[in-house]
Amino acid sequence: MRHEIWLAALSEELRRHGVGPDLAGHVVAEAAGHLRDSGEPPLRAFGPPDAYAAAVADSVGGPAVRAASGPVRLRAVDIVKRYGKRTVLSGVSLTVHAGQVAAVVGANGSGKSTFLRICAGLVGAASGRVEVHGTLGYCPQSGGTADFLRAEEHFALIGAGRGVSRQAAARAGARQAAALNWTPNDAHARHLSGGTRQKLNLVLAGLGDPDVLLLDEPYQGFDGGTYLDFWHEVWRWRDAGRSVVVVTHLLNQLDRVDVVLDLSASATGVAA
Amino acid sequence: MIRTLTIAEMTLRETGRRRGVLVLLLLLPLAFYLARRGDHLGQSIRFVCLGLSWALSTAALFVGSAARSLEPRLRLSGYRTHQLFVGRLLALWTLGVALSLPYFVLIRFDQNDVRYGAIAVIMLLGVLVAPLLGLAVSALLPRDLEGMLVLLTVVGLQMILDPAGNAARVLPFWFSREIGTYAVDHTSVGYLDRGVLHGVITAGLLLLVVAVAFGIRLRRRPHVRFVEV
Amino acid sequence: MAVLACLIVDQDRRAQWLRGVLDLCVLGLLARGDSYGYELAQSLQTAGLGAIQGGTLYPVLLRLQRSGLVTAYWREGGGGPARKYYRISAAGLAVVADAAGQWAAFAGGVGAILQERTAR
Repeated sequence: MRHEIWLAALSEELRRHGVGPDLAGHVVAEAAGHLRDSGEPPLRAFGPPDAYAAAVADSVGGPAVRAASGPVRLRAVDIVKRYGKRTVLSGVSLTVHAGQVAAVVGANGSGKSTFLRICAGLVGAASGRVEVHGTLGYCPQSGGTADFLRAEEHFALIGAGRGVSRQAAARAGARQAAALNWTPNDAHARHLSGGTRQKLNLVLAGLGDPDVLLLDEPYQGFDGGTYLDFWHEVWRWRDAGRSVVVVTHLLNQLDRVDVVLDLSASATGVAA
Repeated sequence: MIRTLTIAEMTLRETGRRRGVLVLLLLLPLAFYLARRGDHLGQSIRFVCLGLSWALSTAALFVGSAARSLEPRLRLSGYRTHQLFVGRLLALWTLGVALSLPYFVLIRFDQNDVRYGAIAVIMLLGVLVAPLLGLAVSALLPRDLEGMLVLLTVVGLQMILDPAGNAARVLPFWFSREIGTYAVDHTSVGYLDRGVLHGVITAGLLLLVVAVAFGIRLRRRPHVRFVEV
Repeated sequence: MAVLACLIVDQDRRAQWLRGVLDLCVLGLLARGDSYGYELAQSLQTAGLGAIQGGTLYPVLLRLQRSGLVTAYWREGGGGPARKYYRISAAGLAVVADAAGQWAAFAGGVGAILQERTAR
């Protein structure tokens, strides 16, 4: 079987097995490179395209594969939070390793955002402790941007905090924006639409490549395509060995995350 | 240093784009000056200095409030708390100096028989204290409206209270009238000394308030431990 | 015929052994420096593990990536197109260090038992 035919078939099989388009692209490019270097026929080097695609999809999908083998990046133990007499969180724990994605779910008012803010250290907790191994990025549900600054100035500002040069920050910001299908221009943040402003928010959270990302339903105002792009970014961050915690009440991506923390059942939540 | 300067630069950019704030800063002191120009000598000087201070404090109040939503993210990105407020102060002080210069020139050529050096001292102290007052108020009061009312009260009292009385010394811009007396009425140098002392002490106290308020609001919570990797 | 059957069983068992240690071997090679798929396959073959097919190797690399033990980046080739290079992470180094000791103990035990067998 000639290379091109086999590679085309592989591309198709990867799509059918539900492997995301950017990962599929990488897999095909890597296989093409391997065939070029080794000079072997594809069927001998990789086997039939659908078998190889299945093996790739197997390594990629399914929580069982991602047993916690990376180091712990975020560990929250027995978090208790009270507002006056009302106990919002009683004894919530969550451990996330490098290369894992955790979803925090629950009904409105169950304390998801509060829990995330506690993990970020922005809000105090009555008891419990949080350990963060590495740097932290946080994306709130809204806000977090300066009305009168342009996108690139935001990148420079956050980049300076992380010790990144202006040009590097601008490049990184533009790259992450492109992944969300957005090209930053010279507009002030107050002139951006709600969804675009949230894209800026998300890019700022990931700027400087923090080890842990805490995202509080950051997809407000995203259209359907951007919503999928957002989850692609999340998988890409996971690929890069980061830990991502996403607060969400939309459950359709749950079968692909590694850890689910459900705060709705009772006030006590323990990570699955 | 880079972080502090970056904050200062971005604050200046932001403020430069807020046309409402700029108009306030430029025109309000002028209005104060012109309103009193026909009066007895020196009234317009006193009022323009007060107007400059008030405008600058208000600008600082707006800067402080606008920055609030961004500050937690900046802290997480690696900024230390003091870099955040020192950066903003640097920007506001720069703005204050740039603002005061044309008014100093105006007084230099429009008013005679006053001690220009002392007037420069009033303006410099005003530039020093006004942003500290505005930032302190914004740090203590979360909403713009309450902050504006506080500043209005301060300025109002400043105009009403007799500077010789003890109550007036509590006000942050008392030094302005005291040194003003020295500059316009050619009184003894004691007025200048007292004024400078008051200005410096007020600046110090307000800086303390700013540092403590920011420190408490942006503190690292004890329940979180960051481990270097 | 019986000899052929033995050879096939040997292949099976060898494949089983390989399944158990391939990811550790890849980590071990990456600990010496960044590398890409084909180069890793050649190194494994030179080291005596036999010919490792791409279809076996790349899923292993993907799994290592997923669990954060390696990271990947694309590097522009000198005269050709870009290649996907892998770099071991701090976590991966820890795993290799740990595995080296464990394997030595394990293989030592197995070797000791097998030696006694052939001594009979």
